[in-house]
Amino acid sequence: MGAVCVAGTEFALILHQGGQYAFISSFFPVLGLVYVTTGLVAWARRPSSRLGLLLVVAGGFALLAEVTAVDAPVPVAVGMIVGTVVLAVIVQLLLSFPTGRLHTTTERVVVLAAYFVSLPLQAPLYLFAAGNPLSLADRPDLADAGLQVQRIAGAIVILATAALLIGRMRRARPEQRRVLVPLSVYGIFALLVVPVSSALEHSVFEGDPVQRTILQLVSLGLVPIVFLIASSRGGFDRTSDLAELGVWLGSDEAGRPELRAALATTLGDPSVQVLFRVHGEEALVDDLGFPVALPAHANGRGTVDVELGGRAVGAITYDAMLVDRPEEIREAGRIVAIALDRQRLTVELRASRARIAATADGERRRIARDLHDGLQARLVLLAVQAAGRGDQATLRAGIQSAIEELRELVNGVMPAQLTERGLAAAVEDLRDRLPMPIELHVAGLEQRLRLDVESAAYFVLSEAISNALKHAGPAALTVSLERTGGQLVLAVADDGAGGARARAGSGIRGMADRVEALGGELYVDSVPGRGTRVRAVIPCAS
Amino acid sequence: MRVVIGEDQVLMREGLRLVLEGAGFTIEALAEDARDLVRRVIGLRPDLVIADIRMPPDLTDDGLRAVLELRGERPGLPVMVLSQHVQRRYAVELLRHDDRGVGYLLKERIADLETFIADLHRVLDGGTVLDPVVVAAMMDRPRPGDPLAGLTGRQREVLALMAEGRSNAAIAARLHVTEKSVVRHVSLVYNALGIDQSSEDHRRVLAVVRYLSR
Repeated sequence: MGAVCVAGTEFALILHQGGQYAFISSFFPVLGLVYVTTGLVAWARRPSSRLGLLLVVAGGFALLAEVTAVDAPVPVAVGMIVGTVVLAVIVQLLLSFPTGRLHTTTERVVVLAAYFVSLPLQAPLYLFAAGNPLSLADRPDLADAGLQVQRIAGAIVILATAALLIGRMRRARPEQRRVLVPLSVYGIFALLVVPVSSALEHSVFEGDPVQRTILQLVSLGLVPIVFLIASSRGGFDRTSDLAELGVWLGSDEAGRPELRAALATTLGDPSVQVLFRVHGEEALVDDLGFPVALPAHANGRGTVDVELGGRAVGAITYDAMLVDRPEEIREAGRIVAIALDRQRLTVELRASRARIAATADGERRRIARDLHDGLQARLVLLAVQAAGRGDQATLRAGIQSAIEELRELVNGVMPAQLTERGLAAAVEDLRDRLPMPIELHVAGLEQRLRLDVESAAYFVLSEAISNALKHAGPAALTVSLERTGGQLVLAVADDGAGGARARAGSGIRGMADRVEALGGELYVDSVPGRGTRVRAVIPCAS
Repeated sequence: MRVVIGEDQVLMREGLRLVLEGAGFTIEALAEDARDLVRRVIGLRPDLVIADIRMPPDLTDDGLRAVLELRGERPGLPVMVLSQHVQRRYAVELLRHDDRGVGYLLKERIADLETFIADLHRVLDGGTVLDPVVVAAMMDRPRPGDPLAGLTGRQREVLALMAEGRSNAAIAARLHVTEKSVVRHVSLVYNALGIDQSSEDHRRVLAVVRYLSR
């Protein structure tokens, strides 16, 4: 309504003032009106897209440029200052089609440059021209120089815009390209019409501004209509740019950008971070498996959880300044949840591999240290005693204790019973060495299992038992091993303190890794004050 | 006395040969794996078999299985089983049916030449020799309502020496007490464990080990 009033007033004023070109000039407000109208239509059709808003803004500037008709110092000044802003808005429209949002830094730079050309670089044209309210001096030479600078800068911006558009067209799907190509070609044409036709006014139009103005009016007036048509065609008629994510999901995995990049582009926030909720880790982890402290909201970062099938699989953090609607991120999270979950599994697997490797390294270091600090030192001492005519009995006792130490060490690395007799025998042997009696149930283990299954099972049991004895202080401890069907089921239950948790670096994490490496699962049920139950199920097809 | 040795480690095999030849034994054969051992013993019918538990082909408990198989064929065949480590379970298996002529020692016991040769002779004579480490493992094993808890220190020492296969005279000499007092201790131990007092001298290891293994 306001726009119609403004346009009507301008229209009336221009006609009222009359003059040689009044008829033609009166169409400038009409141009503004066309922008505003198409903008409102586009806005109504796609509320999530900013395209409509941009068109309305462009129309606003077009109308503002014509307030010079009021012929008072302030409106004239305002009109001169914003005279060419509509061209910058067209650049922004072209680069942000179809969502109305800019997605890359380059795009933002080009759009900023466009506004720079049409606002500050416009200044010399009125500052150094005579007969206007903003005139500083009548210096046609400076005004001319300013015009040249503006033209060159403008040409660069248009070239950059064209280059970005060409890039987009090449990446677009065929049905999108059918729309992008005419839109972009026409957009560049419209951008070129105003400066080029003005520059060529004397040579081509023979000094007749009427033809030139008609050409400019028509070219610029068609821009919003072209946008309106384009935004409803060629796969751009989706409700939001989030639908782009759906397209990303469906595209060939080898050729598409990774999840984070896709989210960053779609949401227009290059700082978007994807975090994962992995097994046995309380904090969210990044794509390398490292725990990440969630950024505080005060830092201008927002976080939205991603769920899949009612289970938290990860989170997306974003720049709350750039993305003002968390609902949009949440929606994006819903769309990419499956892809995120898959990447989560990869992260989880990589992390567990790294942990297993680290555990093995740690074991080697421990063995090396035990050999070096214990046995080697003892042998050196024996050698010294032997050289110094030490007495036979002492020497023999020293050797004997060295042998015993070695035996303990070897048994710790790989229990002899496990190698010679298998899991059940090794666990019975382990039971015999414990400081307290335990209840042991063994079933279905008459046959040997695969060596890796036996080792993992033994490791898990001995770790669970030693955890129980060390931390829980139980009065009773029950251990069971049972092979049923194609599964080996291990359970260690105590009536101790409870409250065991799978922290990073804890024994539980290591047990889970061993079990999961064999395709099994580890369950820990540990309520403070109600004991701990560790249960492992390992597949072991015979 | 004719001996067949089953041992896959060269150093150990040659060490045993030296020790035994020095003590007047005749080495009939040196077997490097369990199958060869069984074959040689069946063919040569030696007076004594010395075998390592872990041997080829499986490198698990092949030596033990070979010995058990041989004693199944020739009950009472004197065997000395050696190992890097000792297991309660293996002791029980060795003694399960017959405790005559069985020895089970850690390999390092060879270093104490005199004792080792004496142990071999006890096995040859149908006696039983168990490594103190096995016996200690059996006695220290945690179990609910441990009946050994009621024994005095001296009684536990006597029990351990009985399980190792020592005679009353040997126990008396070791503990520096009279044989009569050993007999009194043994009788109390039997009572505590609920073992039949009438066990013959050389059957008592079986009784004790069976009890300890329950």
